[in-house]
Amino acid sequence: MKQLFHSVALISEKCIGCTKCMMNCPVEAIRVKGGKAVIYNEKCIDCGECIKVCPYGAHISIKNSLDDIQRYKKKIAIPSVTLYSQFGKNVEPDVINEGLLKLGFDEVFDITFSCDIASETLKKDLERVEKPAISTLCPTVVRLVETEYPSLVGHLVKMLTPIEISALIIREKYKEMGYKNEDVGIFFLTPCPSWVTKISEISKNENIRINGAIPISDIYPKLLKHIKGRADDKNSFISRTGLMWAYSGGQCEAIGIENSISVDGIKNVIKVLNDVENGRLDDIDYIEAMACPNGCLGGLLLVENPYNAERITKNLNSKIDFTYKIHDFSDIESKLVSDEESSEHRDTQKISTNFESAVKMIKSMNKIINMLPGTDCGLCGSPSCKAFAEDVAKGLASLKDCKFLNEGGFNNEG
Amino acid sequence: MEELLSVKYDVVSGDFIRGGEASSNLKKLLNQLGVRSDIVKRICVACYEAEMNIVIHSVGGYIEAKIYNDKIEITAYDYGPGIPNIELAMQEGYSTASDVAREMGFGGGMGLPNIKRSSDEFYIKSEVGKFTEIKIIIYFN
Ligand SMILES: Nc1ncnc2c1ncn2[C@@H]1O[C@H](COP(=O)(O)OP(=O)(O)OP(=O)(O)O)[C@@H](O)[C@H]1O
Ligand code: SF4
Ligand SMILES: [Mg+2]
Repeated sequence: MKQLFHSVALISEKCIGCTKCMMNCPVEAIRVKGGKAVIYNEKCIDCGECIKVCPYGAHISIKNSLDDIQRYKKKIAIPSVTLYSQFGKNVEPDVINEGLLKLGFDEVFDITFSCDIASETLKKDLERVEKPAISTLCPTVVRLVETEYPSLVGHLVKMLTPIEISALIIREKYKEMGYKNEDVGIFFLTPCPSWVTKISEISKNENIRINGAIPISDIYPKLLKHIKGRADDKNSFISRTGLMWAYSGGQCEAIGIENSISVDGIKNVIKVLNDVENGRLDDIDYIEAMACPNGCLGGLLLVENPYNAERITKNLNSKIDFTYKIHDFSDIESKLVSDEESSEHRDTQKISTNFESAVKMIKSMNKIINMLPGTDCGLCGSPSCKAFAEDVAKGLASLKDCKFLNEGGFNNEG
Repeated sequence: MEELLSVKYDVVSGDFIRGGEASSNLKKLLNQLGVRSDIVKRICVACYEAEMNIVIHSVGGYIEAKIYNDKIEITAYDYGPGIPNIELAMQEGYSTASDVAREMGFGGGMGLPNIKRSSDEFYIKSEVGKFTEIKIIIYFN
């Protein structure tokens, strides 16, 4: 298994073992062992649901801070497009970018340029992958497909995301200017923990290396100081179609794909993927699937609520009529399609490497399920009776952990 | 040869909310067993279409899957009303689905042809007023 780093982590001392995260995890990646939550790394998709629901702040996201940029001679920020919707509707992107320069960055890359390039490659991709094509902008959705829907891996589009495209362009530019790769520090200003994980994965490739991810919610207060009271009436130089990538449905809108589905929220995404797997959506061209409510504008590390943020983005868009006319990107095109087999079949559901022993385990699982009450109470430390049976069959839990079996049922009749 | 494992799921007529559960349970099982993902996909499609036909067109029935070393055998059985003209029912585009089912995106008349296309062996039997039985076999490699 390649990817073991996760940005979602647990502070054990803060966890009281309440089972809330376990019961809310959409992929049953959490157990409670010895009164503490445990995240199963191979199942975790970094959606951040556990961070959202934990009442004690025990789940956190690993991240970088502004101090980390000091290690590099050249400090470049790639802000997520969502950044421009966080400061109300009268603050121009240029003002926000200037604020970032004051925070210590040497350059703020215009990610809407990369979004416009991504739009072009995406159009071609629709012909290249199995139908319906599934978007890869959201790393959580990609991991969900890889772990829970291995048969749909061939539907994932192959384009590089705007964030990777940005890093590629920045790295090339500074190399040409004579900088050493290690002197250039590129930081993504992220709306979510999911991208923190993704960045650590892609940093293995030095051509698109991003050196860290800083949560937008962390820099927000500092940035606000430089923005307050600064109104700007001249329009910013930013792409209207690029900005659309922020909200759910925006990719399809920017590209003009009509026969598509835009689905947001991890549980809704799961429903749609089930239908894809059953063959119900074969005649659809593209599925824009995002883990957060209203797409990235619903990211966990943002400040503004996702729906007001959409209003702000659209308001901004109505004032801009500029988009990058990407006619010729042939010089970088060859690098735009992810070359290494980035999406892989992770087979995390497979319970044994050997078919026959897997059959045996399933048989014993079925026997155990028949003994259990089916109440999914979670007291055993597994999220459901079914999951518990699987854990016992795999040797990860013991039948003794079931309160129903060992205390004569919940009513203590025995 | 006797099967290694068998599972059976009841399918309730008219239950669009839970319709599809049998195939998603079966999918989970096959993934646990480590069956190749392109084969899981074919099994999924066939099982789902057969399951939804029971939900939409019949009074209810069940899906039974028997897993062998090298193949899966799925039986979709329901207790009527049966199919009067199987040859017609097998034609692409032929459908008697209700308006309700059509509104939910069913009724394209593609289900049975898709089941046949997805499977390596396909058998269908029916007696009006009594039953419909579809049996399919898909090999694991
Ligand atoms: N289990 C069944 N019991 C009775 N009639 C059936 C059954 N399965 C199929 N039929 C008949 O055969 C016809 C064709 O079935 P098929 O699955 O190909 O299409 P459909 O169910 O009508 O539409 P779709 O599967 O595309 O949603 C149905 O409309 C129905 O008249
Ligand atoms: S929808 Fe956007 S913000 Fe949410 S996890 Fe996915 S990439 Fe991150
Ligand atoms: Mg049908």
